[in-house]
Amino acid sequence: MSLPALLTLFALAALAPALTRRLPNGAAWLLACVPAAICALFAVTAAGLAPEQFRIESTPWAPTLGASLSFRLDGLSLAFGMLITGIGALIIVYAGGYLHGDARLGRFLGFLLFFMAAMLGVVLADNILALFVFWELTSLASYLLIGFKNEDGRSRRAALQALIVTGGGGAALLAGLLLFAQIGGSMELSGLIANPVDPTTDPLLLAAVVLILIGCFTKSAQVPFHFWLPNAMEAPTPVSAYLHSATMVKAGVYLMARLNPAFGGSDIWTWSLVLFGGATMLAGAVLALRQTDLKLMLAYTTVMALGLLTFLIGIGGKGGLEAMALFLLAHAFYKGGLFMAVGAVDHEAGTRDLRKMGGLLRPMPALAVAVFVIALSSAGLPPFLGFLAKEYAYEAGLGATHLPIAATFAMLLANVCLVAVAGAVSVGIFLGPARPELAHVHEAPLSLRLGPSVLALLTLAAGLAPGALGAFAIAPLVSAMSGQTFAADLHLWAGFTPALGLSVITLMLGYLAYLRLAALRDLLARAIAATFTFDDVYDRMYRVKIRLAARLTTALQRGSLGFYLSLVFAALGVAPIGGMLYWGWPEIAPDLAGLRAIDVGALALLATGGLAVGLIQARLTAIVALGLVGFAVALIFLLYGAPDLAFTQFMVETMAVVILALALLRLPLAGGRRRSGLVALRDIVIAGLAGISVSTVLLGVLARPFDPLLSEYFAENSYTLAHGRNVVNVILVDFRALDTLGEISVIAVAAIAAYGMIRFRTRAGKGDSR
Amino acid sequence: MTSLGAADLVPVIPELFLATAGMALLMLGVFRGDGSTRFVSTLSVLSLAIAFLLLGLLPEGRTEAFAGMFVTDAFAVFVKSLVLLGSALTIVMSSAYIRSERMERFEFPVLVLFATLGMMMMVSANDLMSLYLGLELQSLALYVLAAFKRESTRATEAGLKYFVLGALSSGMLLYGCSLIYGFAGTTSFPLIAGLFAGGVEVSIGLIVGIVFLTAGLAFKVSAVPFHMWTPDVYEGAPTAVTAFFAVAPKIAALGLFVRAMIAPFGELADEWRQIIVLLSVASIALGAVAAIGQSNIKRLMAYSSIGHVGYALIGLAAGTQQGVRGVLIYLAIYLAMNVGAFAVILSMRVKNGMVERIEDLGGLAQSRPMMAAAMAIFMFSLAGIPPLAGFFAKFYVLAAAIDAGLYALAVIGVIGSVVGAYYYLRIIKIMYIDPQAEPLEKPMHRELGVVLTVSALFTLLFFAYPAPLLAGAEAAAASLLSP
Repeated sequence: MSLPALLTLFALAALAPALTRRLPNGAAWLLACVPAAICALFAVTAAGLAPEQFRIESTPWAPTLGASLSFRLDGLSLAFGMLITGIGALIIVYAGGYLHGDARLGRFLGFLLFFMAAMLGVVLADNILALFVFWELTSLASYLLIGFKNEDGRSRRAALQALIVTGGGGAALLAGLLLFAQIGGSMELSGLIANPVDPTTDPLLLAAVVLILIGCFTKSAQVPFHFWLPNAMEAPTPVSAYLHSATMVKAGVYLMARLNPAFGGSDIWTWSLVLFGGATMLAGAVLALRQTDLKLMLAYTTVMALGLLTFLIGIGGKGGLEAMALFLLAHAFYKGGLFMAVGAVDHEAGTRDLRKMGGLLRPMPALAVAVFVIALSSAGLPPFLGFLAKEYAYEAGLGATHLPIAATFAMLLANVCLVAVAGAVSVGIFLGPARPELAHVHEAPLSLRLGPSVLALLTLAAGLAPGALGAFAIAPLVSAMSGQTFAADLHLWAGFTPALGLSVITLMLGYLAYLRLAALRDLLARAIAATFTFDDVYDRMYRVKIRLAARLTTALQRGSLGFYLSLVFAALGVAPIGGMLYWGWPEIAPDLAGLRAIDVGALALLATGGLAVGLIQARLTAIVALGLVGFAVALIFLLYGAPDLAFTQFMVETMAVVILALALLRLPLAGGRRRSGLVALRDIVIAGLAGISVSTVLLGVLARPFDPLLSEYFAENSYTLAHGRNVVNVILVDFRALDTLGEISVIAVAAIAAYGMIRFRTRAGKGDSR
Repeated sequence: MTSLGAADLVPVIPELFLATAGMALLMLGVFRGDGSTRFVSTLSVLSLAIAFLLLGLLPEGRTEAFAGMFVTDAFAVFVKSLVLLGSALTIVMSSAYIRSERMERFEFPVLVLFATLGMMMMVSANDLMSLYLGLELQSLALYVLAAFKRESTRATEAGLKYFVLGALSSGMLLYGCSLIYGFAGTTSFPLIAGLFAGGVEVSIGLIVGIVFLTAGLAFKVSAVPFHMWTPDVYEGAPTAVTAFFAVAPKIAALGLFVRAMIAPFGELADEWRQIIVLLSVASIALGAVAAIGQSNIKRLMAYSSIGHVGYALIGLAAGTQQGVRGVLIYLAIYLAMNVGAFAVILSMRVKNGMVERIEDLGGLAQSRPMMAAAMAIFMFSLAGIPPLAGFFAKFYVLAAAIDAGLYALAVIGVIGSVVGAYYYLRIIKIMYIDPQAEPLEKPMHRELGVVLTVSALFTLLFFAYPAPLLAGAEAAAASLLSP
């Protein structure tokens, strides 16, 4: 059922624009029915599975490679699936109201459904390749949705930033997953998480874990990658509520939870998650209090919540995972609801600045009721789900194996901040004196109220029926995350526990913080302005990269052929030296004893010619000097018993000098540029380097005993097979006769072509028309 | 020695046909003049198609010709199919361009045919001699093509640069070949391979020979640091020629590279692996960074191709069957993405002629939504973003590298793909967000439209049914590694 569900959603995404054009008013409601139905389907499936049970659905994909498109249905994936489709359905309705009358509504709904399908794919996928593909699709969808207001520069920047950060993390994730699969011997998550492993035993596994965590941390906006999430709030509110609060940013949390059965309990896993999660939680809390824009305030509390979720997975054990499961649901309900409510207020009142709000209870009573319920849950008051989540989180913190006091204290600070923000969003907006400039505000339409109201009901129902919640959602979630069977036993009232005491302290401190919010804000703003933000770091790195790229290109690619040739020869000179430094210098033992005076003379001629080519500035003279080198080489051939080769070389060199000189004289270059001394020096150095290092290598080669295989073969067979005494001749006309024939034909064809061209030119010269 | 029988020529039938067709078309052009260019082009495409069919009709398995200097196996057939496809598509795509740029001369399709013939010889080379012959036949045709627009100084400069640097690389390659011959005593790939079968110690002369051979081949595939000609030639050559350069010759040269490393020197993978890794890392790094500052789209594609060669070389560095399979998949997908992208570039025509700055694509999403969508698909795919085909291309070589224990190389590959994504995304941003540039002329030529649509659909939907391509690449890789 996973694959049909995904395909349906993708198809629906493609159909959405056309449908919206036909039915501008009803399309959103109609489209929302499909994810709602899928949600119901997941609920039925979940009810039919025992907590520790899971089901694999597999379709062949590339059978020759054994790759299959497989999905895993268990407590974790079904819970996420229900959140994605359930909240998704509410968001679709909400978006229909939010962008009512906008010409681009259809496209927007299409993008949202596309995202929904991709996100569903992430949580259902069992094959790691499929998981990664869906993972990147969610980044892509988020890019499209954040940049939806493409006429706005800040939206574009935020969209690109989110894509670069999460896409880059995605790449790390891919590398990590591939490594993990290689070590674990399976491409399926089910196979990989079946047994716990300790990453510290294998450095490669450790690298895999680090890479995977980078992927999760970027996606779930953990410090130091958290900066993209608040910037992403430039997106239309339905996007913020859905992608950047309830679902996409939880993909990283999901994956950590998914892999917890394999890595949970190892020190590196625990410490990374606790430290980064804790830092994110505190940073999010502090930054949230600083904001005046309600949406940004919610964004930073989302960062805080993501930190807390990571933190709780890190604490692990039954307690930590149980608290994580509860907080996951509680946060999805209340944060989604709050975002939608703030968006609805913004939609009606035209502002989301906290300082301009107040007294909206009278015009918007229905929305106000929903918001108050959600805010109470968010602040952690009974009998709402948020209370349960907070109690169990405190209990987990107090029971943590490492640093229980610090953990609990960090959570206390974060929760205090949540209380203050909840106050700002509920009391700050709806109570207090009515503002004259907000007199025009009316109640939000049903489509905008539906989401907050349903989520408010859910958070209340879940809080009132903890037993049912535990059996239906928490037990399967914890079982899947721990890899062991777990039976939930949740109570709203657990007696007078230390956790309850902490709750009371939280509420009191939170109330104080809310009252002194303005003062706190100024204090934090001053403190933060004195330090740097990661957003700036991102900007700086971005600029440095572009400048570096431009410099590199202009330095390397300047369009001059001479420069390119020098580069090649420089590489030719440096590479062998590098190789020899690495593998050791060859043993060079040239036999200098047998050197005659005439040999030395030839060598001197060679060296003089070479040096002259480098030093002489005029082109023609340099060419003649080059000829000198050739003649010296020919002389060496002559002295060492290869007269035929020597004469060929003499001829070739003479012809080359003559032809080059002729060509240069015909070209309009005479006089012209001369090389400057510096350039000449550079050329000499490069040429010398290349020459010396290649010669060294060759000397090294020749110092080894020569392999006489070929010479012996020809020496033995020349006379017996071909009846010739000159081996070279025999090779040319017998052993390689066909090649010689080919060479002769080539020369003949070239001669004919040259003749044709000369004739053609003379005719053209006489003025014949072609 | 060995006699040349008629049966010996069976594996060469596609090449023989192509050679005959090329010469016949050359004569046809000479006698009918430049007015016959369209006719010659059509017949050239037809010849390539027939050669493609003949390729399919060859007997299965490994067969040799010319005393073992030429081999046809699944690997050769796979790469040759891609080369023929690339060449045919280039001729189809460029017909409108050469007409409007006043370079409609019958030699154009004929030169493409001869270059293709050279590429097919390269891919089937089973001996250092046939390797060099095929390579030079291809290169000489390409030098002329680069300078095909004789009156354009940029094009002639590009041709000259290509020629000088190409000749230098051929020299290095030959030097390497003669060292190998001297120390191995044979030029035949299987016989060379036979020398190392027992795990004997390798003479240093042979290693030096391999190094020079590798340097020469690196030139032909334009891997860093032997890439310098690429941006200048891509930018200077007429766009139709650039489109050709970017696809078929690159595929053939990589095919040759793989065969020349694996077939004779497969046992020595540990010796040459470092060189390939070095080439690969440098190419990926330069390809990722250097393209960022470009404003000319052809130049950008040049850097992009350098980067992609780096990725394909990852598969070769692995040196395993999985690695070779990765390279082959890469080549097939690379073909689709580049043909498509160049179909768009060849459509970048405004009232006063062709344009090639990236800014000229501004606002394309408004004026030509379908074309912009297709280009966006190619760019996302070149950037390696799933689920587009380009992602799978990278995935298979990276997976092979990890399997072969080249972890650092795989990680560098991943980082390079993230950094490189920037400039592909920038093109998408320009098309979708930036202000409208001078609108491109309508309508798009029909043949370009067809090529564009087909390649976009392939790139987009590859993930849904990858099995046939994967199976083909698997069989081809197996034929090379365990003949």
